[in-house]
Amino acid sequence: MAEQVGNRGWERVFKWCRSLAGVTVIATVLIALLATADRGGYILVNTIVTGGMTALVAMGLALTLGVLNIPMFAHGEYFMIGSLVAYYVFTPISSFLNTHPDSALALWGPLITVLAAMIVGALAGVVSEVFVFRQLRKRSRENWVMNSFLLTVGLSVVMINAHQLFFGADFKGITHYWSGPPINLMDVFISRDRAYAFILSVVVVGVFWFFMTYTRTGRAIRAVAQDETGALMVGIGLNGILMLTMSLSCVLAAIAGAGLLFMYPSYPSMGLEPLYMAWFVVILAGLGNVLGAVMGAFMVALLKVLTVEYIGSGWDFVVPSALIIVILIFKPSGIFGSEVRGVLDK
Amino acid sequence: MNHTTPSANPIDRLLDSLCLTPAGLLSLVALAVLPLVPPFNHEYLIRWLISAAFIASLSIAFDFTAGLINIVNFGYCAIMGVGGYTSAILAERIGLTPWIGMLAGGLVAALLGLIIGMITLRLRGIFAACLAWFFGLAAMGLATKMVWLTRGPLGMRVNRLFDTASNVPYYYLLLGMMVVTYVICKWVTRTRMGVAFKAIGQNMEAARTSGINPVFYRVSNFVLSCALAGWLGGFYAHYYGILTPDIMLTSKTVEVLAVAYIGGRGSLWGGAAVAFPFIFAMELVRSSLSNLPGLNLLLYGLLLILVMIYYPGGFAAFFDATFRKYKNRVMNYFFNGAYESPR
Repeated sequence: MAEQVGNRGWERVFKWCRSLAGVTVIATVLIALLATADRGGYILVNTIVTGGMTALVAMGLALTLGVLNIPMFAHGEYFMIGSLVAYYVFTPISSFLNTHPDSALALWGPLITVLAAMIVGALAGVVSEVFVFRQLRKRSRENWVMNSFLLTVGLSVVMINAHQLFFGADFKGITHYWSGPPINLMDVFISRDRAYAFILSVVVVGVFWFFMTYTRTGRAIRAVAQDETGALMVGIGLNGILMLTMSLSCVLAAIAGAGLLFMYPSYPSMGLEPLYMAWFVVILAGLGNVLGAVMGAFMVALLKVLTVEYIGSGWDFVVPSALIIVILIFKPSGIFGSEVRGVLDK
Repeated sequence: MNHTTPSANPIDRLLDSLCLTPAGLLSLVALAVLPLVPPFNHEYLIRWLISAAFIASLSIAFDFTAGLINIVNFGYCAIMGVGGYTSAILAERIGLTPWIGMLAGGLVAALLGLIIGMITLRLRGIFAACLAWFFGLAAMGLATKMVWLTRGPLGMRVNRLFDTASNVPYYYLLLGMMVVTYVICKWVTRTRMGVAFKAIGQNMEAARTSGINPVFYRVSNFVLSCALAGWLGGFYAHYYGILTPDIMLTSKTVEVLAVAYIGGRGSLWGGAAVAFPFIFAMELVRSSLSNLPGLNLLLYGLLLILVMIYYPGGFAAFFDATFRKYKNRVMNYFFNGAYESPR
């Protein structure tokens, strides 16, 4: 009996390997290993660290697409908000640490920073849902996808220029979160910040996955994504769920912004690059497919790292764009497919 | 578009073939006189007028795709930039006169429009917008990296169209180009094609069922709108005299998009009407409150959000609802012309 189950399990694995998703995942892993063997371990490390944070941004984008049906153009701006908050919270902490190097803040400071970014990100999400998207939803649901897309375009312009107006256009960055020597792994020196950023993204993805799969609220969110009317009928409070989803996705982007502050200093239009990346990922993985976005994020990160490594920096817009165009032509529903396509066709 | 009894008056017939109402003609005349009137005859105010007219022309051609077949061409300014680069490179390498170069820019842009139209055929709404966006990103990346051809971010020097330091001839040329853009777009919407565009924009399945071939109409719409963008891009290159990949940025497209939607989607003239007061207000805010950088664009974004939520029809819908309803015969003639009956 156990053997039979085992056999069936193997059959499923083989079947998955022969599907498009399996082929791409295996090809990605192989290419990553080959490139690592060719040029050294830092390719793998770079891919994993960039991929982890891209996954957070892309997951948030996939969530807004899947649940609220909003093709978010302002998602990079929540990333920017996260990094801005992190800068203003962490700068006093780090100057305090300079005078008191042994205080407990050395350990907890970065975590407090990320927490503050999460809170502000959630507030920003709630504000934009209540004052912008809910207003449109109340008035007209006709041609919703396109109209809400234009709203997010306006939102993005407002947030970028509010940053410039109130905080100035200069680069606001920090040198490091955690001091200490870099970690040596496979003859590659990884700075502590990068290692912890990756751990942070793994933990957040894990918690998020658990939340979406096993909690009542997470199930309600998925129910709304599948069928709004059906969710209403079984007594799910739609407005609350939509608001929660919006703030969740903004929190994810804000965590990524705060976690990467040591790499990308905060400035008004910094959100565009994570936005492009997140859109690449979401289209690659299939619109609204939240877990596919995690896998897709690593693929896009690998593609970007390889482009920079083999073709040269600056081409990392051209090559992924070309690939995404090819994917959109031949497989508009993405590699991992998605269930929300019918809604987005409108 | 209700062509009722043909009027004997030749002026009416001429106006109608130019797709203008008496009110439209009057505002065009006002725009033409503007650079001669004292507050506006300063060179820097004429420069504002030129940038307003440029945004206005782009928004007309942009609305031709966005308003009629309901697909936002999010890489619009990238295509405009490709037209500009084509014209500039032709002028620099083989010494082609800018006048033909601008048309060549339009031709290359039309080719790009053909490609985008073909590859977005299977896609709808937001997918097509994304694809056009990535296309524009790729074009901008190429313009930045092909330094041997475009000199990349350093900027490419382009010879100017006229030999004067004055901006006035450029303004009149651009005003003419704006009218040509408007008339071409409006003419097309008056034919069978325009009806087909609207049908596709409203409901593609229904349009297909009633025998409209979406392939042909969507592609031809993209080709025309992109060709006009490339032509205008040629003007941009030969007016400013320097070309950097910055003109292909997504934020430039957003600027055009905001004007087109605040002006009123699907109206074509709405964006042009809004662009002039709008760009002037923005420039005024920027120059008078220069200690608050970004305030003008912040207002821009807020206005776009407010219009999208509370008045999705934009300025054109407001105009139709208030001014075009006059029962008075003279006023009706003034706002609607002799042919178009009030809606």
